[in-house]
Amino acid sequence: MRLLAITCDILSRPVYHFAARSPHTVNVVDLSASLHAEPLTLRERIQAEIDAADPAVEAIVLAYGLCGGATAGLTARTVPVVLPRAHDCVTIFLGARDRYTTEHEATPGTYWYVQDQMERGNDLKGWLLGDAARADDVVATRAEYVTRFGADNADYLMETLGEWRTRYERGAFLDTGLAPADAAADRAREEAERRGWRFERRAADLRLVERLLNGDWDSEYQILQPGETLAMSYDEDVVQVAQSGASNLPAR
Amino acid sequence: MADLKRLQLAVEVGDRETAVEVTQQAIDEQMPPKTVLDSMTDAMGVVGQRFQDGDIYVPEMLISARAMKAAVALLEPLLVGSGYIPDKIAVMGTIKGDLHDIGKNLVGMMLKGASFAIYDLGTNVTVDRFMAAAREHKADLIGISALLTTTMGNMRGVIEAVRAADDMPNLRVIVGGAAVTKEFANQIGADGWAPDAGSAVILALRVVGEARAAATDRAGVSSPASAASADPIAAG
Repeated sequence: MRLLAITCDILSRPVYHFAARSPHTVNVVDLSASLHAEPLTLRERIQAEIDAADPAVEAIVLAYGLCGGATAGLTARTVPVVLPRAHDCVTIFLGARDRYTTEHEATPGTYWYVQDQMERGNDLKGWLLGDAARADDVVATRAEYVTRFGADNADYLMETLGEWRTRYERGAFLDTGLAPADAAADRAREEAERRGWRFERRAADLRLVERLLNGDWDSEYQILQPGETLAMSYDEDVVQVAQSGASNLPAR
Repeated sequence: MADLKRLQLAVEVGDRETAVEVTQQAIDEQMPPKTVLDSMTDAMGVVGQRFQDGDIYVPEMLISARAMKAAVALLEPLLVGSGYIPDKIAVMGTIKGDLHDIGKNLVGMMLKGASFAIYDLGTNVTVDRFMAAAREHKADLIGISALLTTTMGNMRGVIEAVRAADDMPNLRVIVGGAAVTKEFANQIGADGWAPDAGSAVILALRVVGEARAAATDRAGVSSPASAASADPIAAG
């Protein structure tokens, strides 16, 4: 089977790794994780890649989760589109929805680090939190706010927009084992400790990526048949095929 | 004479110093405190609309709300002294598992300007805590927010608990947050959903107004104009 894999570049290493070992012929397109900052743009970019697929491609696999709703609304055109049932890449790196649920319920205030994200200078939580996480670049952000709003308001904004950090308690580095990761893990540890979080280095489980690239798609994956559109399911399935006329796209 | 246009503009641009200065001047001149409050409520209505239109973002909303909060702090003793008290009660929080509360805080600040007393339960709030607070404070409204799709499913439990509670027939629940869609709100049976803080205020006024009108009808009394219809934000 000829597959087109469209992946967030946070997952590039695992996707290329398993594409090379897949029994299928896989062409990989990776898109910048920074597209998460604009969910509508991310959706449009993925859809454009789906629409532009070579006619020889027999199925398209997405190394994406629901990603805050960004992938809801994607439509399969002439071939099936497959993606894991996952809220975001943390589930994909952990290998199962159940494992994510267990981790989140035990420690909801967890900031997850992965190697590809750190090496590309990306801040995953940043895209989810918008201005709140831009405040990570403290000096530049404060300077911008001082110019726009004055020093007093700038200090208030820095404090308010960064307040979520005080509620987090764990920084967890997920080690894929695909490349030497000590330098990235050390950076994660330094940042976590600077923020007052306890640090853990955990082994990732890449089975969801492996099976995605191998064409081994069971109920852990959503398969969109040609003409079908992806929607949020609002339950443990995470995603489903949209009912006709449904308007379950995020507001922005 | 205190220039309420200047006060309104100060709130709109987040100029706390000027907002406080003009408010103090208005107080010194014994201007009716509700008049001063109304000008700031109007300003937040403008800010909310600009946000809806995509002309401003969260930082601008935050500094406007902050400017109003500082000015309202001066007014509050006078408002209470003149017999003005918030006539609607809301309990707010982010849903269990969600630790991100900037949106919820903005909605809370804006609802205060629309004559709501706010009981803010903070983040990571369980169903039981929402219900206990609603009961304790005789709330009209529960407002729940979620930033993440991973947590928003927990909102369902609050709605179910409210529907199962016989002792709070007028209590309503509205939901919002970056990941929450109108369809999800409908699916879990919420009384309302809003995409942003400005819309949430209009929604809250409408939902509470309708609940009160329905309660009045149930009591067999002719229905007065709802609380919402007299409010400057709802009118705007």
